[in-house]
Amino acid sequence: MIEDVLALLFGVFVTIFIYSFLWKENPLSRAVEHLFVGMAAVYTLASMYDAALSQAIWGSQRIEGGYYIWIIPILISFMYFFFFTKKYFYLYRYPVAIVVGIMAGMMICGMIQSNFLAQIQATADPVTTPLVGAGVWEWSGGNIGFRGLNSLIIIIGLVTSLTFFFFTFEHKGVLGVSTRIGRYFLMATFGAAYGSTVMARISLFIGRLRFMYETTQVEDTYSVSAWWILPIAIICVIVMALWLRSRPEKAPEPAPATKPEKPKSKG
Amino acid sequence: MTSSMKIPGIDRRYLYVLLFIIVSIPLLNPLKLPIPIGEHARRFYDKVESLSPGSIVIVSFDYGPSTRPENYPQSVASLFHAKERGCKIVVLAYWPSGAPIAEEALRESTVFGSDFPNIPEYGTEVVYLGYVPGNEVGMQTFGDDTATAKGIDHYGNDIASLPLMQECQSAADFDVWVEIASGTPGEQQVIQFVQGRHGGPSAVPILVGATAVSVPGMMPFYPTQISGILNGLAGAGEYEFLLNVQYGYPYAQGPSLDAQSLGHVLILLFIVIGNISYLLTRSKGGKS
Repeated sequence: MIEDVLALLFGVFVTIFIYSFLWKENPLSRAVEHLFVGMAAVYTLASMYDAALSQAIWGSQRIEGGYYIWIIPILISFMYFFFFTKKYFYLYRYPVAIVVGIMAGMMICGMIQSNFLAQIQATADPVTTPLVGAGVWEWSGGNIGFRGLNSLIIIIGLVTSLTFFFFTFEHKGVLGVSTRIGRYFLMATFGAAYGSTVMARISLFIGRLRFMYETTQVEDTYSVSAWWILPIAIICVIVMALWLRSRPEKAPEPAPATKPEKPKSKG
Repeated sequence: MTSSMKIPGIDRRYLYVLLFIIVSIPLLNPLKLPIPIGEHARRFYDKVESLSPGSIVIVSFDYGPSTRPENYPQSVASLFHAKERGCKIVVLAYWPSGAPIAEEALRESTVFGSDFPNIPEYGTEVVYLGYVPGNEVGMQTFGDDTATAKGIDHYGNDIASLPLMQECQSAADFDVWVEIASGTPGEQQVIQFVQGRHGGPSAVPILVGATAVSVPGMMPFYPTQISGILNGLAGAGEYEFLLNVQYGYPYAQGPSLDAQSLGHVLILLFIVIGNISYLLTRSKGGKS
């Protein structure tokens, strides 16, 4: 139970310290930032080590069960450590080449199928992007609206946005009009992405605020509320700010003098 | 200097304080604003609702603590819904940081309870595989042959000893793939390396719980390759509301959605004021 309470206290202090970055970068925000990066790195390393063991060694279809073929990937992965030797550095290139080759092969197939062919198919498909048919131009209600109008916007947006990146001819006449419309579509897309980013950031902020305001149930019988820790954490930040102000400011170091370059002699 | 020209000089920290106050109000005193259900969340709900008892649902936790406020409510609600429908559930994570969050979600009192995995239905109705390494390669391998991708579950049980895992040998055996994601590997990789290789959207329908940042990027895949989307915290709230109406699931995101709405109104005001100030400044011949 005590560890849960300590975790709660720690969480509140860390949250306030990291948000103090909004005032300005300070030792508390930097400390928490480094803590986060360090913990994430260590956790990932430990998870990978554990996963490697569970992946290759344990289980009836692994080394434990007599499937010794799993020794091969383990040996290949150990070849990464030749990165640290000068004499056998070339051996390090083999696992890298294997990984790059596998990824390139996978990505080419996957991207062409899912991001290219399937997208063209969906745009040309009269079921998903209908322009004619019963009820297509009737109000479907709510978020859907007119399905035909949605399809028309998708097709116009697709064609005009593609022409924006068409540089074989100068953007004049019909092509100029198309690229201009395409630019508006692109701007609308970037605007939507920006709006979504704002929404996501506020969501994360709300998540931290709820963590601090609301009562957290620790086990079944004991509960603790974190909101009262909030002013204590803020006081910590203020004390730190006052301490920073009281310190004499360091004079900026003079820039190192650069030696005038010697004129190169010709010939 | 005119008042309009002073506006661009406002210290941004005042805006942070204002946002903090505005967002805090509904969290401390919920406003209970009406919540319209979007098409994306509705389709997500309808897809899970259409599953018959005994269907196999896979829930993939591909996110970390940094996006937990958005993704966690989506995850718990999805697990709850699948369980209520009588579905069999396989849970895994392609992100190392997603694994402990997945276990926590499974133990949440509304899903399997704090005794998880020491429950009678473990192995037959629900399996937690834990972290599956390999990113895209691990994803593709799991889709092709589940036993090759993972030899033991999160608790060290042999995959071959779990009856549920004998039912799902490859991705084609899952009735729905619920991808709760916030980056790579995420929904795009499931589309490329699982759905594309196993019969397309009709064979492996994908439902995505996503962070709001990533939703514009996945819209081209909707509704053909992605059957439903929960758009960030708002999507989670909409989904919770639908579950609340049907199953009495706690609608916990109400205050968050109120806070988000007020926050957005404030930011819209900032944008309008900033633009008016800019236009006035420019009309007076100032610097843009």
